[in-house]
Amino acid sequence: MDKDKKIMRKTMPAPCDIYEDEGKIILRLDMPGVTREHLSVNIENDELRISGKREPTDVNAGRFLIREIPDRDFYQAYTLDTTIDRDKIEAELAKGRLIVTLSIKESEKPRKIEVHPKD
Amino acid sequence: MAIMRRTNEVYDPFRELRTLQNEINSLFDFDRFPGTTGLFDRSVSPALDVIENDDSFTVRVELPGLSEKDIDVSFASNVLTIRGEKKEEKERKSGKVYRRETWNGNFQRTVTFPLAVDGEGVKAELKNGILTVTLPKHEEAKAKHISVNVK
Repeated sequence: MDKDKKIMRKTMPAPCDIYEDEGKIILRLDMPGVTREHLSVNIENDELRISGKREPTDVNAGRFLIREIPDRDFYQAYTLDTTIDRDKIEAELAKGRLIVTLSIKESEKPRKIEVHPKD
Repeated sequence: MAIMRRTNEVYDPFRELRTLQNEINSLFDFDRFPGTTGLFDRSVSPALDVIENDDSFTVRVELPGLSEKDIDVSFASNVLTIRGEKKEEKERKSGKVYRRETWNGNFQRTVTFPLAVDGEGVKAELKNGILTVTLPKHEEAKAKHISVNVK
């Protein structure tokens, strides 16, 4: 594990929007420059780990007149609580933007309990 | 180019300090949200790289989630303008928002090039949320390598 860390480049969390939509939790992350091959979304011990590798900035490409794009990979871990259904997670990457859809367990959804009058 | 005085770059006692200062500053740099450029400027400025080569300039801009039709790239009198709008996706029907970190709205960046650019040959490409604009230098502005004859 330590060996891998040495090779790993500096990381930063990707800007993320988290919102609820029709019983689903949606994470929308801006990850410009990340391709599908270099993206990994996995769950380990109640942690949703999102990591996206970017092409390292080629320092020999020329002289940098302006350099604002951080030469970093993306990494962020979110803790999932028990209401999230671990088997129903979808991820979709398009135009440098990742959308992760987490479903709430059916048993956790609010349901109406019928009240039967008993006379 | 103006004639420049040769600077003594062999030993600069403050260089280390400057690097340290930059390192420390970057530790506190939590601002991942692109800010606005001017006081009355309401457009967001996304992160941008400008790289100069022997015969061209390359501009890269981070524009995640945008398609070609949302971006307007124009080049006039050696100034490159990239503008457009990053629209907020309004697919949400119900439920609450827990976190809001991405940016949206109008954006604009302008880059003035120090050397003449051949406006006809400017090419722009959008891939994985990164816009790459290639601007070839004008014939006269290209770096020429002059070989020195040894006698």
